[in-house]
Amino acid sequence: MRALTFLIALPLLAQIPAAVEPCAKMRLHGNPQADACYENLTRSADLWVRAEGLWGVHNYKVANDLFRDLVKERDKDPALRVRWGYLYLDHWQTGTAGDLFAEALNIDAKYVPALIGLARVAADGYSAKAMEYAKKALELDPKAYQAQEVLARVALEDNNEAKAREEAQKAVDLSPEALEAMSILATIDWLNDKKDSPWLAKILKVNPHYGDVYDTAGHYFVINRRYEEGIALYRKALELDPHLEKARAALGLNLMRLGREDEARADLEASWNAGYQPTESKNTLMLMDKYKDYDTFKTPTTILRLGKKESALLRPYFQEQMDKAIATYEKKYQFKLGGPVQLEVYPNHPDFEVRTMGMPGLGALGVTFNMVVAMDSPNSRVPGQFHWASTMWHEFSHVYVLEMTHSRVPRWFTEGLAVYEETAASPDWGDRLESEEIDAIRKKKLLPVSDIDRGFIHPSYPEQVVVSYFEAGKICSFIEQKWGAGKLLAMIHDFAALKTTPETIELEFKMKPEEFDKQFLAWLDAQTKRTVDGFDDWKKTLRTISAFAKDKKWDDVIREGVRIRDLYPEYVETGSVYEFLADAYAGKGEKDKEMAELARYSKAGGRSPATLKRLAELQTSAGQKAEAAATLERLNLIFPKDEDLHKRLGALYLDLHNPPAAVREFAAVVAMPPIDPAGAHYDLARALKQANRIEDAKDEVLSALEVAPNFKPAQKLLLELNVKQ
Amino acid sequence: MAAAAQVGGHLKRALLLILSVAVLRAETFYFTIAGLGGEPEYEQRFSGWAKDLDKVLHQTEPNAKIKTLYGPDATKANIEAYFRQMTAEAKPDDSVVILMIGHGTYDESDYKFNLPGPDLTASELASMLDKLPATHQAVINMTSASGGSLAALGKAKRVVVTATKAGSEKNATVFARYWIEGMRDPGADADKNEVVTALELFRYAEDKTAKYYETQKRLATEHALLEDAGKGEGVKAPSAENGEGLTAGRFAMLHLGSMAAQSRDPAKLGLLKQKENLEATIDDLKYRKASMPLAEYRQALQRYLLELAKIQEALDK
Repeated sequence: MRALTFLIALPLLAQIPAAVEPCAKMRLHGNPQADACYENLTRSADLWVRAEGLWGVHNYKVANDLFRDLVKERDKDPALRVRWGYLYLDHWQTGTAGDLFAEALNIDAKYVPALIGLARVAADGYSAKAMEYAKKALELDPKAYQAQEVLARVALEDNNEAKAREEAQKAVDLSPEALEAMSILATIDWLNDKKDSPWLAKILKVNPHYGDVYDTAGHYFVINRRYEEGIALYRKALELDPHLEKARAALGLNLMRLGREDEARADLEASWNAGYQPTESKNTLMLMDKYKDYDTFKTPTTILRLGKKESALLRPYFQEQMDKAIATYEKKYQFKLGGPVQLEVYPNHPDFEVRTMGMPGLGALGVTFNMVVAMDSPNSRVPGQFHWASTMWHEFSHVYVLEMTHSRVPRWFTEGLAVYEETAASPDWGDRLESEEIDAIRKKKLLPVSDIDRGFIHPSYPEQVVVSYFEAGKICSFIEQKWGAGKLLAMIHDFAALKTTPETIELEFKMKPEEFDKQFLAWLDAQTKRTVDGFDDWKKTLRTISAFAKDKKWDDVIREGVRIRDLYPEYVETGSVYEFLADAYAGKGEKDKEMAELARYSKAGGRSPATLKRLAELQTSAGQKAEAAATLERLNLIFPKDEDLHKRLGALYLDLHNPPAAVREFAAVVAMPPIDPAGAHYDLARALKQANRIEDAKDEVLSALEVAPNFKPAQKLLLELNVKQ
Repeated sequence: MAAAAQVGGHLKRALLLILSVAVLRAETFYFTIAGLGGEPEYEQRFSGWAKDLDKVLHQTEPNAKIKTLYGPDATKANIEAYFRQMTAEAKPDDSVVILMIGHGTYDESDYKFNLPGPDLTASELASMLDKLPATHQAVINMTSASGGSLAALGKAKRVVVTATKAGSEKNATVFARYWIEGMRDPGADADKNEVVTALELFRYAEDKTAKYYETQKRLATEHALLEDAGKGEGVKAPSAENGEGLTAGRFAMLHLGSMAAQSRDPAKLGLLKQKENLEATIDDLKYRKASMPLAEYRQALQRYLLELAKIQEALDK
């Protein structure tokens, strides 16, 4: 979330008592006498003036009480509510601020300061409504430069620099003291490596202590994933205004993101102790306190942080995937990272959310901060909902692309490439085609390639972020299929050379972005036509199939299921056609057909642990042990906290004479910890014996017998192992 | 150290008693009742579980007396009739296991097991149990609100297991599913002595139920308890410290292997005695573990375990 300094310019945003205006102007101009001026106001007989004074000296509590009393007395005064709302905005409580602005608007639907307040609240939450409110404010008052500033902020967040510049310039034309607009203009220069922005001098002429200019710029560097530069800007903000605690807190948060926890804690604590206490700071400090409950494992190329309670179980699987991803990407992107990648895996989803806070977009599964990746633990989600390996590979793709481009890459491309890499790693990984995306294709809601970033940052409908991920991923698949993977690598280099999306498209594909869009949509249409056209039939028939299944009318399920299954083959969520068909075949005792249907489900990317275990059971019974092991192996990358899974897979690997894999699986059972520890240690001992690790096997069998001295199979194994010795 | 010695003592006694259960094994009555489902889904689920229990009991304990009531037969009158039969047939050394599946309710004064026709209250059930001559009794009440039955059913040396911790936990339970799974899973026999005790089954089902809610990311609506000390209040984790679980640890719910046959062979009694002594030695060693160098402990453990394995090998010949 962003925090703006409202206190400086805000008195100008609503009708305020005349006595307050001199103080507001002093603060706007960075006049050190401003504090004394506000202090004087705290002794005023006029309660509103007194409330403004208390707010000016940061006595939020008493100011808030006074505003509450005043609003009760002057129930129909929109200006009072707007000022009170800004107090809340200044105190990091955007929800309450928004409510007060809305209440003011209910009193007077044309009250421009209330509309601007709502625009700011919406902009803070990255809502597309910010533009709506700001535009309405400008319709009512074309001179409301603050509304123009909101439009400039939003445009720059969409990476639309031209529009941002235009809107900011309009604000400056309206007011030579539009500091926020000037900050946007300076930021655009800095984002484009123009170090000596002329706007800085203009800003400092208005207010020589206006640290906010760097704080604003820091925000944009961070949302463009240019964390190191963002950190440097926050430091500059503090040099200019050592009391700008929001910049200190932002500095701490971003240091934390890059894994520099000691520095981060110092800054967060300092800003907290100075009175800047938003929820983000509190949560982050609390999260840091929890790190004692984590284990950290280091190799030359990786740092892996796992919750202590699950580290023994998860470590082998995560380490294996990290190593594989690094080896794959190193070859694919022809790039070697400068240091180890840090992967943090959070067993509690709220802890992961603290890590992602402040980032626009979904950020729901994993997030990358340069060389640091944070993600949910597979155990923090309902089994079958989360393919953790797919997420990890997605994020590791970001690590490479961000490093190779020094974070100078449009969001659509790095996200699209990461989505593409999920299914490139394995076709059954990655997200499947969802109904939201089918709907977007049907209603032609996909964005042009030059404008797709907007769908990530300021979605205009609730599903647009998800749809944008899908579209960006498909664009990368289209490029790879039509021109080869080399073009994707070339695009990374183009973006690193600071080419824009249109320039890159023209350079690599020798066509205008509009022509690229045309070709891409034709390709996508050919790929999805059957599903898009047949979606209504599929949806309607699925309901019928469900009713047939409930009544055990298996022949009807099979007839209709076979007819519609391939209309939408990617649907593998609960109640898929594959599962209905498998149940029907099971109901008729046709196990071969049941197995074939479930194999289709697995190949299509189905992730339900129960369904995949059923497939493995059928495969095992049919003597297809290698296939059964492959089926269960998929579950290790989906929900590894499953004792039964590891027991079954370990047994299969023992039968298949794959002792290293059997050892891994039975070690996972021991790490659970298991319901049957004696049985778990015994199984591990058997696998170790097969791996010819006799001393380790003896240790494990002793552990089994220590729990259960009369465990006969373990006794037998102990005797065998000692005879061997 | 005092606490450890006490625990060790309990375990040794438990081992001896388990052995005596095997040696002097008397009759066991298993009485499974699946109550009223109310809806077809629950009817099917409850009677399905009852049938599963019946099947596993017939497979594992073919010589036991097994009675299962479900569907329209699970009436209060039929339950009372079978209790009268058990009262007439059971002897003091016999064991009685009551397994209850279904919906229960609690009205702040008494628990009611929902049945077709009149319900059965916990007080009524307790009264029938008190009349049984069999001194080894276990009530496994796996219904919703079953925690409300604990106060009435609890009695010293009677094992009472409830799926919920209170009468206010009213949602349908999954505890029965995992209790049955435990009866099928050799893994439930945690100490691998081929006798699955009530305590082992409780721990198995309690752990699996907790993991079910954890995995599904759902707020747990059932918290199983065990009571066998007559305190009227159950515990989630029976231990020597809280004084619960001693009777349950001795209460054989299922016999899995050949131990009973061996114990009846006079030629093997000497080996059995040696085995018993060695088990006690291992038990003592385990409780001295913390005070010993690890290598020395592992060495001694290996020596005793090897001896024990050899004795078992001789017993199995």
